[in-house]
Amino acid sequence: MRARGKIKRDYGRELAVIRTRTHWFILAGFLILLGILPGILTWTDNNSWLTWLNFTFITIIAVLGLNITTGMAGQVSLGHAAFIMVGGYTLGILTTKMDWPFWLALPAGGIITAAIGLVVGAPSVRLRGFYLAIATLAFLFFAQFLIKHLDITNGIHGLIGIPAPSIGDFRIDTDLKWYYLILLLTIGGVISSVNLTRSRLGRAFSAVRDNDITAPSMGINVYLTKVTAFFIGSLYAGVAGGLGASYLSVIRVDQFTVFESIWYLGMVIIGGAGSTAGTVMGVLFLRLISQFLHVVSMGSWVPSLGASFWSSITYAIYGAAIIAFVSFQPYGLIAIWRKWQAQYKRWPFG
Amino acid sequence: MAPAETGNKNGTIVAGTDLSLSFGGIKALLNVDFQVKRGEIVSIIGPNGAGKTCLVNCITGYYRPQKGSITYDGHNITGLPSYRIARLGISRTFQNPSLYPHMTAFDNLMLARYMHTKTTLPEALLFFGRSRHEEIESRRFVEGIIGFAKIQDLRNRTVATMSYGQRKLVEITRALAMEPRVIFLDEPMSGLDEVMKELVAELVISVRNQGVTVVLVEHDMQVVMGLSNSVIVLDFGQKIAEGSPDDVCRNSQVTAAYVGGITLGKTCQPAA
Amino acid sequence: MTALLQLTLSGILVGCVFGLIAMGFVITYRSAHVFNMAYGQFAMVGAYMAWTFLGSPDSPRFPLWLGIILTVLFAIAFGLFVERVFFRRMIGRPLFVPFMLTLGLLAVINSVVLLVWGPAPLALAQTFPKGPVGVGEITLPQEYLWSFAVAMAALIAFVIFFRNTKLGLAIRAAYDNQVAARCLGVSARLNSQIAWIISSLLATIGGILIASVQGVSPLLGELAMSVLAVTMLGGLDSLVGCIAGGLVLAIGGNLASYYLNPHIQGISEVFGVLLILMVLLIRPAGLFGSKSIDRV
Repeated sequence: MRARGKIKRDYGRELAVIRTRTHWFILAGFLILLGILPGILTWTDNNSWLTWLNFTFITIIAVLGLNITTGMAGQVSLGHAAFIMVGGYTLGILTTKMDWPFWLALPAGGIITAAIGLVVGAPSVRLRGFYLAIATLAFLFFAQFLIKHLDITNGIHGLIGIPAPSIGDFRIDTDLKWYYLILLLTIGGVISSVNLTRSRLGRAFSAVRDNDITAPSMGINVYLTKVTAFFIGSLYAGVAGGLGASYLSVIRVDQFTVFESIWYLGMVIIGGAGSTAGTVMGVLFLRLISQFLHVVSMGSWVPSLGASFWSSITYAIYGAAIIAFVSFQPYGLIAIWRKWQAQYKRWPFG
Repeated sequence: MAPAETGNKNGTIVAGTDLSLSFGGIKALLNVDFQVKRGEIVSIIGPNGAGKTCLVNCITGYYRPQKGSITYDGHNITGLPSYRIARLGISRTFQNPSLYPHMTAFDNLMLARYMHTKTTLPEALLFFGRSRHEEIESRRFVEGIIGFAKIQDLRNRTVATMSYGQRKLVEITRALAMEPRVIFLDEPMSGLDEVMKELVAELVISVRNQGVTVVLVEHDMQVVMGLSNSVIVLDFGQKIAEGSPDDVCRNSQVTAAYVGGITLGKTCQPAA
Repeated sequence: MTALLQLTLSGILVGCVFGLIAMGFVITYRSAHVFNMAYGQFAMVGAYMAWTFLGSPDSPRFPLWLGIILTVLFAIAFGLFVERVFFRRMIGRPLFVPFMLTLGLLAVINSVVLLVWGPAPLALAQTFPKGPVGVGEITLPQEYLWSFAVAMAALIAFVIFFRNTKLGLAIRAAYDNQVAARCLGVSARLNSQIAWIISSLLATIGGILIASVQGVSPLLGELAMSVLAVTMLGGLDSLVGCIAGGLVLAIGGNLASYYLNPHIQGISEVFGVLLILMVLLIRPAGLFGSKSIDRV
C-alpha cells in the first residue's frame, strides 16, 4: 500500500490542480456524468429538469464573475444583475437589430459589458465597502431606467425573437443542444476562474481584499487590481447575460431586479466567498431549492395557491438561507467540504 | 538575493530635502533633511509622536509631503504612488505586522513576488506559458528566501496562528522577497522578547551583508546603538541630530528629548 | 414663482420626515456597525402593523391613541427581536457579514408581508386631519404639516436623549470606540438593544407618516433607496447631515419632478439614484461627513 503522504518532486507538480491518478479518474468520471446527465434527467420524459440545468449553468457563469469581483477582490457589488442585463441586451440588439451572428454578438456582449464594468468599477478607488455597494446598486437602478426609456431597447416591452445560434445548417434549437453549448462555456468559465486564483492576479485580488493599505507596499497597484476585478466579473456576467437572452429568445428589463443581485451575492456567500468550487456549490444549492419548490408547487396533492404565493415562498426561503449561512456557516459550503476532506485524509487518526 | 549595484559604492541612495507635512494644525514633519548611504544600517529614533513613521510613510509614498523632495538613486520620487515606489526597489514593513492573516507564510511571501512577474490577464485565465513558468520561478525564489531567513518551520503555518514575533520575522522576510535595494523596518523590535530581538537583529545584519541598505525606525536604544552605522534623531517633527551612534549619544539635545537622560546614558555604552 | 415656493415648502416638510427616518438608519450603523439594507422593510412592517391596529378608513379598529400605543409597543418588540435573534451574534464580525444578513432579512420580510397582506395597497385609517391649508396662493396638504410636526417632535426628543441623558452619552461613546466604552462599563448589549429599538421606532414612525399620505403598500420598502440617498448626502456619521440630506432630496425631488419630468420622462423616479451617484462620485464622504485619515 502506498503511503498517504504525497511527495511533490517539482514545483510544477505542486501547482497542479489535478495531482494524482485518483484525481484524474474522478475528473473523467465527472465529465462523463455531465455528458450523459441530460439522458438521465430526461429519463422520465420530463424536459423541465433540462431547462433547469441550462439555467443553472448560465447562473454559474454569472456568479463565477461576481465571485471574482466580490469574493476574490472584495469589491461588494449589488449591480451584478445590471451587468447581466447589459450583456443580454447587447446580444439582443446586435442580433435582432443589426443582424450580427450569435458567435460574434456573444463575445461582443461580453466585452461591452466588461467595458461598462470598468466604468462602474472606476470609482472603487475612492469608495470603500458599503459606499461602493450603494454605488453599484444605484448603477443597477440607473441602467434599468435607461433601458426602460430608450428606443433601441424597446422600453419596457423588451426584445423578442433573439435568434438561436447556428453553425451552417446546424441550429442550436433544442434544450439538449443548448445543454452542450452551455456546458462547454461553463467548463471554460470554471477553468479560467481556477487559473485566476492560482496566478499572480488572484493573489493580488486577495491582497487588495484583505488589506488594501498594505498591498501597495508590495508593488500592487490597488486601483488597477480593483478595476480588473470589475472587468473580469462583468465579462463573465456579460457572457452569461448573452447566453440567457439567446436561450430564452426574449429579454425584458423586469427580469433583472435588485433581488437577482442579492441572490447572486447570496450564492457566493453560501458557497464560500473566493472559492470557485464553492461558488458552483452555492449556485446549485439555491437553484435546487427553487427547483424543489417548483416541483412541489406542480404536485397534484398541493392546493393551487398561485404563482405569486410560490415566488414569495421562494424569496423567503432564499433570504432565510442567506441569513442562516452568514450566521452559522459564514465560510460557506466549501468550508464544510474542506472539513470533511481533512477528516478523510487523517482517517483513521483524526 | 543580489540587488543590482549601480553608481558609486558609498553614495547616497535615499535623501530628503526640506520635507514638511502637517495634519490640520499638527506639524508632523518640519523642514527635515536626511541622507541614507548605500549599504548602511541607518536608524531613525525619537520619542513617540516625533514623526518617525510619518517620515517613512512619506518616503514610501503613503503620505505626500506638502513641501520638499525625496530622491532615490538620483531620481526624484516625491509624490509617486506607493506601489511605484515599491517597484523601484524600496520595500517596507509596518508597525503592526500587516501580513495577510488568512494566508500561510508561504503565500504571503509569494505576494512579494507580484512585482517581479509579468503575467497578463489572458495568460492568467489560461494558465499557460508564462503564467505557469513564472509561478514556478516565484516558488523557487520564495523557497530560497525562506531558507535565507531561516523560517522553514513557519512556511506552511497560517499567519493567524503565529506569535507576534514570528509575524515580525515573516513580514521582514516578505519585504526581503521583493528583492529591494532599500528596506524600511518600522519598529521591528517593539513588543519582542530578547530571543526574538536577537533573531531579528541577526536577520537585519545578514540583510545588510547582502548589500541591502536598511533603515530602522526604533525605540530600543540598545538595538539602535548596536546595529546602526548612523542615526537620525527626530523630535516634534524636526531633525535635532544626525551622525554616528556615539555622536548622537553625546548630544545634549537628544538627551533632553528623551526625558530620561539617565537611561540613555546607560545604553550608550560603546557598541558591542 | 408660486410653484417654486410651493414645491420648496412642501419639500422642506417632507425632507424633515426623510431626515428623521434616515437617522434610524444611521444609528444602527454607528453603534452596531450594521449597514441595514432592510431598513425600508422595517418601515413597511411598522406601517402594516399600524394598519392592523388602526384599520382602514371604512372599518377602523382601535381608537387612534390606543392604536398608536400598540404600534409603538410592537416597534419596540420588533427592534428587540431583531437584535436578539439576528444581530447580537454579529458583534465583532467583519462588516460585510451583517450587511449580507440584512439583505437576507430584506427578502424574508418582504415576502412575509406579501404573503400576509398581499401586494395591493391598503388605505390607513385617518390619522391626521385632511384637507388643504393655504397662505395666500400657496396651499399645502394639512397632513404634510402634521407629519412635519410629529417628525420635529421626535427629532427634539432624539436630540435631548443623546445630549442630556447618561444613556445617550454612553451610546455616543460606543460610537467611537466599542472596546473602550466597554472598559468604562458601558454595556455593549444594552447599547445594541437601544440602538435597534430606536431604529425600529424611527422606521415605524416614518412608515406611518408616509403611509398616512400614500397608503400602506409593499412599495414602502423602496423607501430604503431614499434613505440611502439621504445618508449618502449627509454622510454616514452625521445626524445634522441626515436632516440636510433629507431636505436636499425632497426639495430637489419636488423640483425635478415639476421642471424636468416633462422633458425627460421618468426622471423623478431615479432622482434619488442620480443624487447618490453624483455624491459618491464627487464627494464620497457626503456633504457633512468627516473624512478620516487612514493610519498605517
